[in-house]
Amino acid sequence: MATLRKLAVPILFLVTMLASLTLGRFGAYLVHSVAIAAIGALGLNLLTGFCGQISFAQGALLGVGAYTAGNLGNAGWGIWAIVGAGVASAMTSLAIGLPALRLRGLYYAIATLAAQFILEYLFKILEPITNGISGLLIQPLKLFGRPVVGDQALAVLSLALLLAAYSFLRWLMKTNVGRAMLIVRENELVAKGMGIDVARTKIWAFVTSGFITGVAGAMIGFTTRLANPEAFQLSLSVDQVAMIIVGGQGTWAGPFLGAAFVVLLPEAIQRTGEAFDIARLLFALRDMAFGLLIILFLLFEPRGLSALLRRLVRWVSSLLPSTRTSVLTVKSHPSPPGDPNE
Amino acid sequence: MNRTVRSALLAALLCIASPAIAADTINVCVWGTITGPDALVNGMSYGTHDYFTYLNQNKGGIAGFKVNSLLLDGRYKLDEELKIYRRCVDQENAVFINGWSTGAAKALRETVTQDGVPFISETFSSEVVDPVKYPYVFVAGPTYEQQMLVGLRAAKAAGAKKVVLMHGDNEYGRGPVTVVRKSGEIEKMGLELVDAIEFKYDAQDLTAQLLRVKSKKPDVIYIQSSTPQTLVILRDAAKVGLPPTKFIGNMYNISPTIPQQLGAAAEGFRAIQIYADYGADIPAMKEILTFKAKNEVAKQDVYYMKGWLEGKVMAAGIENAIKKNGGKVPADLKAFRKSIRDETEALKNLDVGGITPPLTFANHQGSTQARMAKVKNGHYVSVGSWIDAR
Amino acid sequence: MTFYLQIVTAGLATGSVYALIALGIVLIYKCSGVVNFAQGGYAMLGAYVTYALTRLGLSPILALVASVAVMAVTGAATEFLLLRRMLKAPVVAVMMVTLGLLILFKAFCLAIWGPDQIAFPQLFPVGSVEMGGILVTYNYIAAAALSLLLSVGFLAFYRYTPMGLMQRCAADNGRAALAIGIHVSNQVSVAWAMSSALAGLGGSLLATLNSLSLGLSSIGLVAFPVIVLGGLNSLMGSLVAGLLLGVLEAVTDGVLTPALETYLRSHTAIYSVGALQQVVPYLLVGLMLMVRPQGIFGERGTERV
Repeated sequence: MATLRKLAVPILFLVTMLASLTLGRFGAYLVHSVAIAAIGALGLNLLTGFCGQISFAQGALLGVGAYTAGNLGNAGWGIWAIVGAGVASAMTSLAIGLPALRLRGLYYAIATLAAQFILEYLFKILEPITNGISGLLIQPLKLFGRPVVGDQALAVLSLALLLAAYSFLRWLMKTNVGRAMLIVRENELVAKGMGIDVARTKIWAFVTSGFITGVAGAMIGFTTRLANPEAFQLSLSVDQVAMIIVGGQGTWAGPFLGAAFVVLLPEAIQRTGEAFDIARLLFALRDMAFGLLIILFLLFEPRGLSALLRRLVRWVSSLLPSTRTSVLTVKSHPSPPGDPNE
Repeated sequence: MNRTVRSALLAALLCIASPAIAADTINVCVWGTITGPDALVNGMSYGTHDYFTYLNQNKGGIAGFKVNSLLLDGRYKLDEELKIYRRCVDQENAVFINGWSTGAAKALRETVTQDGVPFISETFSSEVVDPVKYPYVFVAGPTYEQQMLVGLRAAKAAGAKKVVLMHGDNEYGRGPVTVVRKSGEIEKMGLELVDAIEFKYDAQDLTAQLLRVKSKKPDVIYIQSSTPQTLVILRDAAKVGLPPTKFIGNMYNISPTIPQQLGAAAEGFRAIQIYADYGADIPAMKEILTFKAKNEVAKQDVYYMKGWLEGKVMAAGIENAIKKNGGKVPADLKAFRKSIRDETEALKNLDVGGITPPLTFANHQGSTQARMAKVKNGHYVSVGSWIDAR
Repeated sequence: MTFYLQIVTAGLATGSVYALIALGIVLIYKCSGVVNFAQGGYAMLGAYVTYALTRLGLSPILALVASVAVMAVTGAATEFLLLRRMLKAPVVAVMMVTLGLLILFKAFCLAIWGPDQIAFPQLFPVGSVEMGGILVTYNYIAAAALSLLLSVGFLAFYRYTPMGLMQRCAADNGRAALAIGIHVSNQVSVAWAMSSALAGLGGSLLATLNSLSLGLSSIGLVAFPVIVLGGLNSLMGSLVAGLLLGVLEAVTDGVLTPALETYLRSHTAIYSVGALQQVVPYLLVGLMLMVRPQGIFGERGTERV
């Protein structure tokens, strides 16, 4: 039983990877869109969900990742371009976070808002690096000397990176640094009283979250093959924040569920509209549903979709006679030491 | 009542369940900004989509085959547009795709070529027009750069010496201005470029910028921006005492909104005209009125005319490809797409019902002709004759 | 000299509207510690309501008054239906709710009035006067005057009326206010109503200047630098900072950018610095947060929420 639990997540990933190989291009595109958004959301969730710092600069940080990966990839760095992108975003995240170390909550949020706008401006102005407004054209990512172009291959790669990011974060939250983050989120004074170096803990959060975001940004670059300033605006930051809220802040399943929800909702509404031949009416409804759901979740279920899922699983398993636990239960019931759900 | 609802639901369910692609229909895909920052000019997408509906209703489709046209909303967001492109190619089996933004056209120009799908875009960017490098990409008119040169040439002919360029800080704004500025074409014309001013693409107040323009004492100011910002420019120009007669905009500024909202502050404003205006006395307008008798026309403006024209170009390419195959829709999708591309490129002196002079598509942009239109008594009137922009 | 006078005049005109919008945000923050991201949304909604009412046949001024009333009710309703349920929620969650509201309002206006720019009814007579060598339309004079009048009026209301006293009391110390018999929740409702009414008025004024579109809601983002510079809990601060920022933007556009570009063009390969005006306020915000997080007029200690 215990081994099954441990293996459930990798098995789930493996199945998704194999399944995405059989999908058409459109389906595979959706898979890598969701996977990449989930990597970004995992990064943000570390900062916001586990360390209590809300950030509106996520869109710009993804941009830093995409531009760095694009430049390095075009220069022939191969897979190292992704690592480089992570490092660049981590440094940027640190540069935003350091001066804001003594700011809390609201003021930190406004500081990141300022950072978002300043970075957007830099994307447009630093022509030698970003190619300005017309955008940086990015060569396909080269893995072992072969270009990765198909959406199916990109989906598999994105899923692999998502699994890596997830596993790393699971490990991190079990270390002392991870536990310190949770205490800082709850109360900085208490953390200080316990002898935790608050500043250093926050710096860890900024760097780690930035690195993971940079990896997501790199994959955005390699899938769209064009990094331009219009793609990394504030609305992308808002989307990312919405993902962790709808999914469930500070939960493990949250970023996955939130990313899937935010990326797939417009498509679902669009298809429904077409099926009933009212697509033109529904064009506006898409955003309305988005706004309304954010409000409703925050009002009635602050733990988001992951709490709903948990309830659903509990309800289903109460219907089942035996003690068999489904794979889903395992995924939605992670309880390592230091888990914020406890 | 209840029974009607139930049977309607059942019918809808059956529609979802049954595969949408029936034999012998022609699938095309149109995406535009239905909702989003540049929705003002989305008549282009409605026009193309409506033209196919018109063909189905009045001409029995193309060469006897119904056209299945899908209109989608790209929201002027790159990821959304890339997603839609994949849907059109992969799921809808579109034989011709009509896309929207400059960004998407640039991001997709190589993919389109690899996929071998005929692709016509609303952009006029010179970076996607290349019959050799991007054989599957088409546009429907002179590039932004060519439009700018036509406007400046007309100003030069009227005795202008000093030029100021104004543009937004997006791809559509900065791109063409940089190309023209670096090419040295302005100086070759005998004009002096005294300043180029960039502003936020959704700026709501440009008084200070126009004071800067005024201090340079230009004879002509060329605007490369969307209509909402052209409105702001002309409004604030009136505020600082710059007459509208000094301003020239490109084909996206020929919107009736400008004289409607500005009144006297727009009198004498000039814009580039490529397509006949909605309501002009031309054969294509008669078709549109026939369509309007049974359907709703979402946007009654010059952009709708552009869309209608693109529909005609796509339909002509498709029709010729079917003719070549002995009047049948080719069974092989790939071959059909290739054949449509070849036939579109081979279009010669295609009559487009007077929206533009007859079109030849060997250059992948059809018309390269433009002329000036001027606001007079609240309406655009054409001035001068067609000038070839090349 | 005239040139600089012109620049300042233009800056003051836009700055006064910034101040009006920022004032509304500060009003709510003072009273309930909530930062309202949806302020731009209320401004936009107010403008659309004014437009809709004139379409129904109301005279423009009457429509404006009615729309302000509608927005006041909307604001109070927001507080009653949403915010009151979130008293114990973290600041961040409340912030996100207002962000959700902004998205909702935009979608609502999109669904009803469509994505295109609409000509806004003339609220004020057409025409202009020359001020400092610049033609200032009556629209601008009226918008600026009304904004300033209202801002000053609010400061006075807050300081000198019993209602203002209760508001200040509730804002200052909720528990103490409760103890002396002030219904704090109702005071918060009143603050929301006033704030939304201000936003609605500001939005309508802005629409007379810039015509009506969904883009109007972005005024809410412009207001953020204003409130940080002025101090989140200072009404006076938002007024001063609003005007200051308006002038600063105009100076950036009219003086700083051209000077910088002239220098760069003659000494480097860089031709343009782009829309510098959009980032200058945020650079200032970054600086301010580092040096004096409570803002020019703010009181110490508010940065720790």
